[in-house]
Amino acid sequence: MERGRNLWWVVAVSGVVTFLPLLALAVKSFTIDGHLTLEAYRRVLDTPQQWRLFERSAILASLVTAVTLPAGLLLGMVLGKSDLPLRRLFTLLLLIPLLVPPYIWAVGWSDLFAPTGLFAHLFGQEAAKVASGYLFGLYGCVFILSCVYLPIPLILTMALLRSVPRSFEEAGRMVAGWPAVLRHITLPLVAPALLIAGVLVFLLAFGELTVPNYLRYDLYVVESFTHFSAFYDFSAATASAVPIVVVALALLLLEERVRLTFFSEPLPPTSDIPMALVPLGRYRWPVAFSVALWVGLTAVVPTSALAMEAGGWANYVEAIQRAGSSIGHTLLFAAAGATLLSVLGFFTGYLVRRRALPLWRIVDATTLFLFALPGSVVGIALVALWNTPLGGFVYSTPLIILLGYAAKYLVLPSRITAAQLALIPPSMEEAAQLVGASWGQRILYIVAPLAWRGLLAGWLVAYLFCMRDTAITMTLYPPGADTLSVRIFTLMANGSPELIAALCMVTVVLTLVPLLFLGTLLRGVVR
Amino acid sequence: MIVLDRIDRYRDGRPVLEDLSLHVEAKERLVVVGPSGCGKTTLLRIVAGLEAPDRGRVVIAGKVVSADGRILVEPKDRQIGMVFQDLALWPHMSVAGNLEFGLRVRGVARRERGVRVERMLREVGLEGYRNRRPSSLSGGERQRVALARALVLEPKIVLMDEPLSSLDEALNIRLRRLIVQLQERLGFTLLYVTHNKDEASQIATRLLRLGG
Repeated sequence: MERGRNLWWVVAVSGVVTFLPLLALAVKSFTIDGHLTLEAYRRVLDTPQQWRLFERSAILASLVTAVTLPAGLLLGMVLGKSDLPLRRLFTLLLLIPLLVPPYIWAVGWSDLFAPTGLFAHLFGQEAAKVASGYLFGLYGCVFILSCVYLPIPLILTMALLRSVPRSFEEAGRMVAGWPAVLRHITLPLVAPALLIAGVLVFLLAFGELTVPNYLRYDLYVVESFTHFSAFYDFSAATASAVPIVVVALALLLLEERVRLTFFSEPLPPTSDIPMALVPLGRYRWPVAFSVALWVGLTAVVPTSALAMEAGGWANYVEAIQRAGSSIGHTLLFAAAGATLLSVLGFFTGYLVRRRALPLWRIVDATTLFLFALPGSVVGIALVALWNTPLGGFVYSTPLIILLGYAAKYLVLPSRITAAQLALIPPSMEEAAQLVGASWGQRILYIVAPLAWRGLLAGWLVAYLFCMRDTAITMTLYPPGADTLSVRIFTLMANGSPELIAALCMVTVVLTLVPLLFLGTLLRGVVR
Repeated sequence: MIVLDRIDRYRDGRPVLEDLSLHVEAKERLVVVGPSGCGKTTLLRIVAGLEAPDRGRVVIAGKVVSADGRILVEPKDRQIGMVFQDLALWPHMSVAGNLEFGLRVRGVARRERGVRVERMLREVGLEGYRNRRPSSLSGGERQRVALARALVLEPKIVLMDEPLSSLDEALNIRLRRLIVQLQERLGFTLLYVTHNKDEASQIATRLLRLGG
């Protein structure tokens, strides 16, 4: 009774954070000057240019998905399942591209291929020009977004590998060698991870705003943002956002349908017995070398190019001065956003894991749906909800940014908490209930202390994602409250390359610190 | 058939098995009993080749298969069937798929596989279950599938790790009888681990007590 009552509050709060903005977006898209009309849709969808951009977005997203899925699966298997040396370090390094604002990699690569860059020094101006030509366009977008989103299938594969009971593989090993066991037993059991990873990568690549913008590759999502930011045609902005919402919803529903039809129930995670690692034997060091090459290509090379472009300390000092309060805003908003997300995510994760209310599935699906939506669309939805005379206390303060983070990233701490709670038998809580502990006491004294690792990991992941966010913040920030990623993005139009590179390096360093803490927590995932 | 020669096995620096020697004759039903944590499961895993002894040798059918921290013969090449404590039925495969997997990776022709799977399902009383998923089976039916899977490759040795521990008394007794009947009919060597004394005395031709 008491638990149900409290969890209804959680549903109500998460509904305000996640569901209401979507509703407001839908309503606004049908309204012009207070009148119900389809005019905005007609204007947006009747334009052949829109459909051409939609097709370009779909092609880009498909290519990124086609690259990241096999690569993420392969790397996930190697890092999560084999006795590869340095696999925890490699995992952390491979996460970096996802956790830094994506456009920073675009800046890094363009610095590398610039006429004064390292590539031109090594291979000549002509070669640098050719490489730069490939970078600014579809191929460059595919490459950079593939590096950025590769950690999604990688981490999901590694997480699902942990849930494959050791005895399943051992039963296979009694009759077959490792290759057959991996192919017929392990892979089918981790396949659902690839399914959801594929859908997420597709949708995130489809909705990525900053990289295609920097690499001057026009895409559909830029349209809805331009309607909003350049022309302030709000009806057109919401109407052009709705097709993206429909695509996201359709793909997530399809994913669930396929998963339920073709795959068995997910296995409960097993934490007590370490999983069996595949011995790589004489391939151990050659494989490690190949992974190191990949890590070098995706993280080290562009970072080095940025560092070279940034030059000496004086440039960093000037960059930090130019960044001004945006660094403080970044850290403050990320910390506040992560705290809000951790608290809300803990309770939604509890609701989802314990299936404590019939609405758990809707709460879970809505959070995942919002994560898959472009940040600019989530931002526009929040504007639609809060840009009213009554919502001024939210809309004109940084609270709107925190609500944006909460809407977009709630799925992360929620899923992390749910995974952690799967390791805590419900009987722990029930035993406390029998001795008279209220639900709040059970959460405070039993569940939260047992789930501390998940809570901390959830906070760190939320912090990193809030810090990297560009699209939501750019859509929502009130005057004087921009963050570092927004400041860099806006400086790109007229700032010097050295200044921009130095600011990008500051962002990378700010990301690495919490990542190191996350690495300590990853000890349990990567053995 | 199986010889364990002065086996030591340590986990986190503590001995799980220490200076254990054991001889198991062909077609014998040796039941290992003992309290939790005495190393019964570890003993089976060492015989299966899923773990190597830190010291000592394991000899199967006259061949050294593990010695001094090294696995010399892979589990799949030891001609051993195993029933795991949690049964380890692969949830993404049907009952027939679970039984067929070992035959398939060994290149047994499809028709032959079908025949052997049918025969083994008949042996354990599960005719008509071939297309069912493990999740749709009762506890007793799952035990039978695990048993059939362990036997379908006609192994010389079968290892069973407390396979009946989760069943009620009546079902437990019925399956004990089935195991003994199958062992007598098929003639494999059985190494069986349990902490249930009744179960041990009904199945064993010889008892080994571990851990005092």
